Amino acid sequence: MKVVFVTPRYGPEVMGGAESASRLLAEHLAVEPGFEVAAYSTCALDHLSWENELPPGDTVMNGVDLTRFEVAGRREEEFFKIDGRLRRSPRHVSWDESQRWLELNGPHVPDLIGALRDGDADVAVFSPYLFLLTVAGIRAAPMPTVLHSAAHDEPALYFPAIGDAFARSDALCYYTAAERRLVQRIYPVADKPQIVLGIGLGDPVPGGRGGRDLLGLGDRPYLVSLGRVDDHKGSAMLDTFFRRYKEHRPGPLALALVGPVSSTIEPHPDVVVTGAVDEPTKWDLLRDALAAVSPSALESFSLVIMEAWEQAVPVVVNALCEPTRDHCAHSGGGLWFGSYRQFEVVIDRLCEDPELRRRLGANGRAYVQEHYQWPALTARYARFLESVVERGRPPGD
Amino acid sequence: MAEEYLAKVMAEIDEEVLRRRSSGDLPKRVEWELDDLFLRYSPMAGRNGSLEDALGVVESASFIDPVVPVDSSRSGGALVKRTIRRASLWYMGWVTAQISRFAAATSRTLRVLDERLSVLQTEFDTQRVPVAPVIETEWAHGPGAWWVDRVLERLAGQGGRVVHAAAGDGWLVRRLTDGGLDAYGVEPRTGRIDRAEIEGLDLREEPVLDHLRAVAPEGLGALVLTGVVDGMTAAERDTVVGLAARTVAPFGRVIIHSLSGQGWISNDAPVEADLASGRPLRPRTWATLLGRVGFDVEVVDGPESLDYLVLAVSGGGEGIGTTR
Repeated sequence: MKVVFVTPRYGPEVMGGAESASRLLAEHLAVEPGFEVAAYSTCALDHLSWENELPPGDTVMNGVDLTRFEVAGRREEEFFKIDGRLRRSPRHVSWDESQRWLELNGPHVPDLIGALRDGDADVAVFSPYLFLLTVAGIRAAPMPTVLHSAAHDEPALYFPAIGDAFARSDALCYYTAAERRLVQRIYPVADKPQIVLGIGLGDPVPGGRGGRDLLGLGDRPYLVSLGRVDDHKGSAMLDTFFRRYKEHRPGPLALALVGPVSSTIEPHPDVVVTGAVDEPTKWDLLRDALAAVSPSALESFSLVIMEAWEQAVPVVVNALCEPTRDHCAHSGGGLWFGSYRQFEVVIDRLCEDPELRRRLGANGRAYVQEHYQWPALTARYARFLESVVERGRPPGD
Repeated sequence: MAEEYLAKVMAEIDEEVLRRRSSGDLPKRVEWELDDLFLRYSPMAGRNGSLEDALGVVESASFIDPVVPVDSSRSGGALVKRTIRRASLWYMGWVTAQISRFAAATSRTLRVLDERLSVLQTEFDTQRVPVAPVIETEWAHGPGAWWVDRVLERLAGQGGRVVHAAAGDGWLVRRLTDGGLDAYGVEPRTGRIDRAEIEGLDLREEPVLDHLRAVAPEGLGALVLTGVVDGMTAAERDTVVGLAARTVAPFGRVIIHSLSGQGWISNDAPVEADLASGRPLRPRTWATLLGRVGFDVEVVDGPESLDYLVLAVSGGGEGIGTTR
């Protein structure tokens, strides 16, 4: 079976969760017997500018036949104006307005759409839902399509042109049951073939160095927050909450914000901002943390939580983020906060109670080992794709 | 076990949060500003969080400060700003005082509404009708039950997607897919579908009515309900009939298995039968209900009339028949 994955960006240097998840799934599927896996993507690395930074053409990346196509034109300023306006009342956006938003959001990649239309893949897999490439690709693909929406509860999810992608896709793949509940609250797609898959965890690649040493913290305990340091990811909120917390509890506890920085974090003696780090450093920082905090309310899975649990590190998540909160509730591996007060009490409890930390970490680890190991996930996904191909495209699609 | 432990810890945390809130160690305005920050990048449905959170945000924003900041990065800028502020404070103060009074009155009104809603919520909770449980017996719900072959026979060659609820571990879905049908299952009870999903069946753990509400119009070739409708309330039954009419395609089928009144009171009926809010309908009542929304209906009584099967096909008139 020939499978083509279509994502706006592709490669290990891309930080987007959905794109990374697609790449990892493609790479694992490529080693399944009977599967030939290709990926179509763009030459862009930055989803804000869509600037072509990588060379177009064919290459092989970790067993996947990768073809990059040039994006036709950079993102225009007009996008930000229309985006701001439509976000205020997303449920009342017209089809034309949302289609215009989608075209401005991009990326516009006509050569990729042409290749897809003329291609010989048995099934095409698209992710995430948010971009023109996904919606236009699902409209154009002659073969059965699977949408990995990576949906979270944000205004664009309610736009009618986005609904078109859900309606036209032949099957859906969700990261969590919470994501499925969200999509089904908005779109009548429950009768489509679907699977709740999640993302598998690779083997940790620790660097063997102490996390505190790497952060220059001596023997101070620390919380770690991994991922893009961005207001939309809750980083500024976490930073503010933590500073406030430290005003009242001036102990040794520190906070490490680890990941590429796109919001302004003022210097503070208890807050360390590392910027992007390599894999061994990431694992070393995770392993020695008191707890890992995921402050984002807009996650559809959160691989970072799984990585923390792999190291038996307890996690703290945003109570309004249904997928991460579901992970915690089902695993018993983490706590959540829905206000500053709750954050304060949660951190107090974690600092004061080593037995609580141990139990949460152990529960999380057991959960990851039971549900999110690649071999089992890939085998399930392969069976799912076979059933999608067997069904084909319904007449009239 | 892990879930229970976590629930206990979170309950302790919530209790401590309430205690600290009432201690007043953090100025209310500061707390609201922090919570406003928390909500700024929240999901659409969660935006403004609970009503209490939303009221907090409104109250924190209800005072309009006329004393504007005068910091400036330019030399002399602060002096200029301070002069303008002093000169215009009487004017700004007059305007902002009125806006603040209006905002305070609005937030007080919202508080009154909140209290009224809380009282109503408490009253509603005491009268809440639980969702109908799945009612299953050993003899009527499983691969060996008398009606299974009839269902398979009736659905042979059925086009479109066929959904079975309550699907349990997927035993009927497996039989249907083995028979070449495009079948999937919905199971509202937790912890029943894991293994079947791993084996590659399309099974979903979710409430049956929630699922049907999210199905596209005419999205189903057939709807098979077993153990689902027996204990439904009148409102739930009306909903299921309406959803069946909306989701089943023309010439699609609705198949319902239910215990009869006699089966319901038999000793081997599960305790859920006593706890359910509704009671099984007589078979002809189902025929009438489905007939009203355009199905042709046939009813088949089970052995000793302990249960029955309703076989309906969409797109006809009001034909009602009974066989044994």
